[in-house]
Amino acid sequence: MKINLGPVTRLEGHLSVITTVEDNRIIDARCQGEMFRGFEAILKDRDPLDAQQITQRICGVCPYAHAIASCYAQEQAYGLTPPPNGRILQNLIQGANHLYDYLLHFYQLAALDFVDVTAVLEYRGADAELLKVKSWLRAELDSGRPSAAAPFLPRLPGSYIREADTSITLLKHYLEALGVQQKANQASALFGGRFPHATAIFPGGCTRAVTVDLIVQYQALIQETRDFIRDKYLPDLLAVARAFPEYWKIGASKAAHLSFGLLPRGPAQDAGRLFGPGFLKDGKVTPVDYTQITEEVRYAKYSSPSGLPVKDGQLQPAPGKPEAYSWIKAPRYNGQVVEVGPAARVLVEFYSRGNPAITSLVESLTGKLDVDPASLDSVLGRHLCRAISATVIADFLMAESERLVPGQPTIAELHIPAEAEGYGATEASRGALLHYIRLKNYRIDKYECVVPTTWNASPRDDQGRPGAMEAALIGTKVADQTAQLEAGRIVRSFDPCLACAIH
Amino acid sequence: MLNRRDVIKMAAALAAAFGIDSLPAPVVAALKAIDPATVPKIIYLQGLSCSGCSVSLLQATQPAVLTMLTEYSRLAFHGDLAAASGALAQETINHYIEGKAGEYFLVLEGAIPAAMPEACQIGEHTLADYLVKASTTMNGALAVGSCACYGGIPAAEGNLTGAVGLREFFKSSKIDKLVIDIPGCSVHPDWVWHTIVHLVRSGLPELIKDRPAQFYSKKVHELCSRYHDFQEEIFAGKLGDSGCLFKLGCLGPDSYADCPTRGWNGTSTFCVEANAPCVGCTSPDFARKKTFPFYRLNENTRKKKT
Repeated sequence: MKINLGPVTRLEGHLSVITTVEDNRIIDARCQGEMFRGFEAILKDRDPLDAQQITQRICGVCPYAHAIASCYAQEQAYGLTPPPNGRILQNLIQGANHLYDYLLHFYQLAALDFVDVTAVLEYRGADAELLKVKSWLRAELDSGRPSAAAPFLPRLPGSYIREADTSITLLKHYLEALGVQQKANQASALFGGRFPHATAIFPGGCTRAVTVDLIVQYQALIQETRDFIRDKYLPDLLAVARAFPEYWKIGASKAAHLSFGLLPRGPAQDAGRLFGPGFLKDGKVTPVDYTQITEEVRYAKYSSPSGLPVKDGQLQPAPGKPEAYSWIKAPRYNGQVVEVGPAARVLVEFYSRGNPAITSLVESLTGKLDVDPASLDSVLGRHLCRAISATVIADFLMAESERLVPGQPTIAELHIPAEAEGYGATEASRGALLHYIRLKNYRIDKYECVVPTTWNASPRDDQGRPGAMEAALIGTKVADQTAQLEAGRIVRSFDPCLACAIH
Repeated sequence: MLNRRDVIKMAAALAAAFGIDSLPAPVVAALKAIDPATVPKIIYLQGLSCSGCSVSLLQATQPAVLTMLTEYSRLAFHGDLAAASGALAQETINHYIEGKAGEYFLVLEGAIPAAMPEACQIGEHTLADYLVKASTTMNGALAVGSCACYGGIPAAEGNLTGAVGLREFFKSSKIDKLVIDIPGCSVHPDWVWHTIVHLVRSGLPELIKDRPAQFYSKKVHELCSRYHDFQEEIFAGKLGDSGCLFKLGCLGPDSYADCPTRGWNGTSTFCVEANAPCVGCTSPDFARKKTFPFYRLNENTRKKKT
């Protein structure tokens, strides 16, 4: 039996997943990216400084990651190094964006797969906000109107958290998280100008001048976010993990892991990063080589040649192409299927033992949960690695903001060559993000992006091998053959962003 | 001279006397929308978009997001928030668009790929199909963000999909329907939520060029905290300098929006305050031409060709 799980909600954009189910087991899965804009064509022949603005519009959820990747690529092309303040400001803007994104993902996107919202109807406490939700929900359900209590209901049939108190606590934090993610975004907007789509980030730094006034505001906002991460987000995640321990075994992609590294510790991009870069296969980490990346299109809706390296990428849309089922290309690293994202970021760092704080956090949390690091390739593993990333990044931002020197320059002077090229690589919250720029006669001759969900939600490659998310779905047992709540949990554990994946 | 509100009031009186059906479609739609007892049900669809406007709507503080969802609107469907997924979600959308669930407002974020409808699919339906059907059942539409209003970056020069905004899409499909434009890339959450609150409390807001006058009647330049620098000819010479950013290419003089007085993300900050030239993101021409870059930098930022 074939089931279309699309439109899959609570993720960015337009995703359908076609599963084939037999005897309550998913025996095949196809991830269909359903929206195409063609950014590479739009960028061609533009002024190169337009790129960090245009590429932010690839994704309104993680725009700063695109701005940063674009700036890194341009900095490499221009031979430009920002002053210390410039790199720090870029880090403060990008890091705060990660914090908001992890909270938004866990509470607003993923939590409704686990939390029983109707538990609030039995709420007996005195919290004004919960009482308001309780009476609203009651009135909505009694009204008999179509789509009553949306967006919280209706929901798919399946098993939700049984402990009413746990669900009520998570619902309360769902509402609080709406306010906390705003604080993290407010922090980045202080330096970036606004969120989404910052205008103050440029190759060579950031236009915002540093003042003590801005530093203390930033720190107060990050401190509040950090407290929420430690006191609520992490305990809530552990509560979900205890209620659904089987999800340490469900949703493994068994793919190789790739991370480009996140947050350089100095003006040079290769100054050493908070999370180091690497390609992880069978417990062994090797250095990343961008020339090993190719994009295959046999099953993607393009008539351009398959298997091209990033710098030679082409884009000829062919919506009616036979066999093709997705607008997402299939990137492969040295020919191998890859998962990117929080689990890749944390595991690459863990196996390269570069950052003792991350190693000990992984060991203490997996110890507490009685799972081994290999189980991080799972639904709960991806969630846990997001919380680990959030914890480590929040600490880093507090220390990093102390290093700002008011009155010192924040941006390097630009000298743009007529012809040049550069790669820019970072970690978006969803994983490894690569931009490539080539200039000809002071204009963009070629711009290519290989984006986290392009890897994770890729269709079959030329050899017919499924992408990481497809592989994670195949073999999963489902209680309800049409609703497939389990499949939704697997898909959302990747936090897919379709606008990014296709761009 | 009658203002728009008076026209609508008069139309309401006429409608009471002669029956609503004899009025032009946009007036009928507006009349349906202004009943203060009706909290609008919203079907929120995304086209060629980045979800930036949706994410921006979650940054609202006055009123808070929860208040908007529980008091001022019924968000019957939004893909980023809906617990329902797959067939259950599709059923909700279909129910409204087929006219079986009563009155509703359509909110569209993102452009429409007019020349390549397959480039935007929502489950079993193309966005274009949904919009044509919705035009016969909805009270009206809010085009949220510059993509939905004018095509935005998906419609920039060199695009491969023939992307257009909602108004142009309806026009080319010969559809005449109330569309309120709320441009911005992304929109400020207040521009959208306050328009919805206005619809609930007092009816259709005053519009200038199809945009709510409250937010779009003055140019960024006119409201700018650095207007004084402009008058005194204190100009930034390079990126990172303070002063008026006009000579760096600031598009504040071409862009209608109240960013300087409203502030973003609960702060008093906006782009120019961070020394970043306005990129004109509320303008119909935003990012349109390859030969019209965002910045106008000094010639010596280019290295001589070797």
